[in-house]
Amino acid sequence: MSQSALWERVEMAWAVLSGTSRHSVDGPRRGEARPEPRGDEPDTRKDGFTEEALPWLDAVYSFSMRLTGGDGDDAADLVQETFLRAHRFWENYERGTNVKSWLFTICRNTFLHKKDLARNRREQPASYSDTELDRIPTAPLFHVRSEDPERAFFHGLIDEEVIAAIDDLPHDFKEVLVLSDLGELRYAEIASVLDIPVGTVKSRLFRARNLLQERLREFAVRSGYLEESAK
Amino acid sequence: MKGMKKMMSCDDVMARLWEFLDGEMPEDERQALKRHLEVCGRCFPVYDFQRAYLEYTRQLATRAIAPSALRKQLFMKILELDGAEDVG
Repeated sequence: MSQSALWERVEMAWAVLSGTSRHSVDGPRRGEARPEPRGDEPDTRKDGFTEEALPWLDAVYSFSMRLTGGDGDDAADLVQETFLRAHRFWENYERGTNVKSWLFTICRNTFLHKKDLARNRREQPASYSDTELDRIPTAPLFHVRSEDPERAFFHGLIDEEVIAAIDDLPHDFKEVLVLSDLGELRYAEIASVLDIPVGTVKSRLFRARNLLQERLREFAVRSGYLEESAK
Repeated sequence: MKGMKKMMSCDDVMARLWEFLDGEMPEDERQALKRHLEVCGRCFPVYDFQRAYLEYTRQLATRAIAPSALRKQLFMKILELDGAEDVG
């Protein structure tokens, strides 16, 4: 690589990594078209990694934070391993396909490899049995009475409480909820990342949302800005 | 009745509301559900609440920013790896 090409790459990578290139850092929203791969790039093995993969750093970090239960150091290690692995296997990524799903898959597999899923599941706080989870409805269970529910409810929430409630969800529920509601992946993409049928994604996601909202409602009642009878 | 579009029931709407909000419904069903919401005083507040929930969680996600030390470290490692490959 020539000196000027290297410098150009350094500047571009730094813009992405430092967050000064906001469009790239945000990435496309759910359902929006992904950026087209540039056709005028030289055909080198790692070409396009900086432009396509690095803009998803914050999204992968957010996912990692939830996977690791909010441990910043573990999440940072996981992010680093994910991107280094993605860089190493970049030739396996099909350009122009969904790089965010691919990165989430690597991130989750790396996490499972490190922690051993079976052991991790056993250690999950057994606040709900499988039977209890099956009983949670998939349709919304909130009975809204407030004239302005958004202001009355969500404006009173504290991010840390919501994050703690997400972290406290059963593992299988947390994964789909984070990939969908925070990661903005579509059902089919989540199915691909988790290697489960789309029907299972929907069932887990809808139950997870109900469970989360129920816990947030309890928090709202405890905090005193929602009356017990408002359920 | 000929020419009259089929109306979804409240139970149907509740069963499919998440798919509607997630943009995962076929267009014809989407339109049918939308027509129901426009006239149903029972389902609309639930729709409004769940929409607010999704907006909230998506905003929550945008507030998670990777620490600058991590950005810098990753950036340096990738440059180092790219440099090593170019030399190799």
